[in-house]
Amino acid sequence: MESKEQISIINEAINKAKEDLKPFGFNFIFWGIFIIIMCLVHLLFTEFIQQSKFSAVIYWTVLPLLGMVYTTMYNIKNGIKKGYETHIGRVVKILWMVFVFSWILVILPQSIINNQNPIQDIILLLAITVTTTGLILKSKSVGAGGIILFLVFYSIEFYPLVNTLVYCIIAQTFGLLIPGLVLYYNKNG
Amino acid sequence: MDKDLEKLLFNPIRLKIASFLISVDNASFKKLMQISGASKGNISIQIKKLSDAGFIKIKKIFDKNYPLTLISITRKGKKLFELFFKELKSYKNN
Repeated sequence: MESKEQISIINEAINKAKEDLKPFGFNFIFWGIFIIIMCLVHLLFTEFIQQSKFSAVIYWTVLPLLGMVYTTMYNIKNGIKKGYETHIGRVVKILWMVFVFSWILVILPQSIINNQNPIQDIILLLAITVTTTGLILKSKSVGAGGIILFLVFYSIEFYPLVNTLVYCIIAQTFGLLIPGLVLYYNKNG
Repeated sequence: MDKDLEKLLFNPIRLKIASFLISVDNASFKKLMQISGASKGNISIQIKKLSDAGFIKIKKIFDKNYPLTLISITRKGKKLFELFFKELKSYKNN
């Protein structure tokens, strides 16, 4: 085998190891829609969801945990079907695991102990994670989504009178749903 | 070029496997079959040769009671591949 032929084999094999952005897009769309629906239900049935001290915490913990189980299973199934994991895919996976652990171990206990609304903290954590994902994937739409999430975080800080659930809907729409749709329908793969 | 390394990657199937594994974190046996276009038996032999040389590592897990073989390149494998590619390029330029 000649060296030219060997280089062509190497190039061909490396080109087959491209990252598919569709599963990332699916995760963003799923969580965008899921949290928007949860916010709308919370807004429409506020009295029912906030009937006791812990009812809102249960609502905002159990349902996202079920969502996490579903997306974890989807990602495992998709990974097996694809047959390989890229370095970028692994880094993004670890990054979102850090997000989940930070949410469970830091934000959630803090909101229960101090009885405070966790939405602003979650949006900040989400802004950091989405912006970093955008930088790793070199995706302008995801990066822009992260910046919008930062803006929403500061808006809650400076204009706290608007219901935080409304801010949450805006954050999910521009921070997850729209970037997710862009990733999902990206023709370049 | 190191004779053993040259011998190891001279085989096109092993070269395809090594080139694919260098650009991913891990790959399944089935995917490597698809990438190399080799038969199950042939790829098993080539993977064993790469594994014996310390070029790759094999991990067996279970997915819904079905065995799943995951293959990844080792640190040694990465260094050897880099060396191989550098020397290949210098051969091509000369």
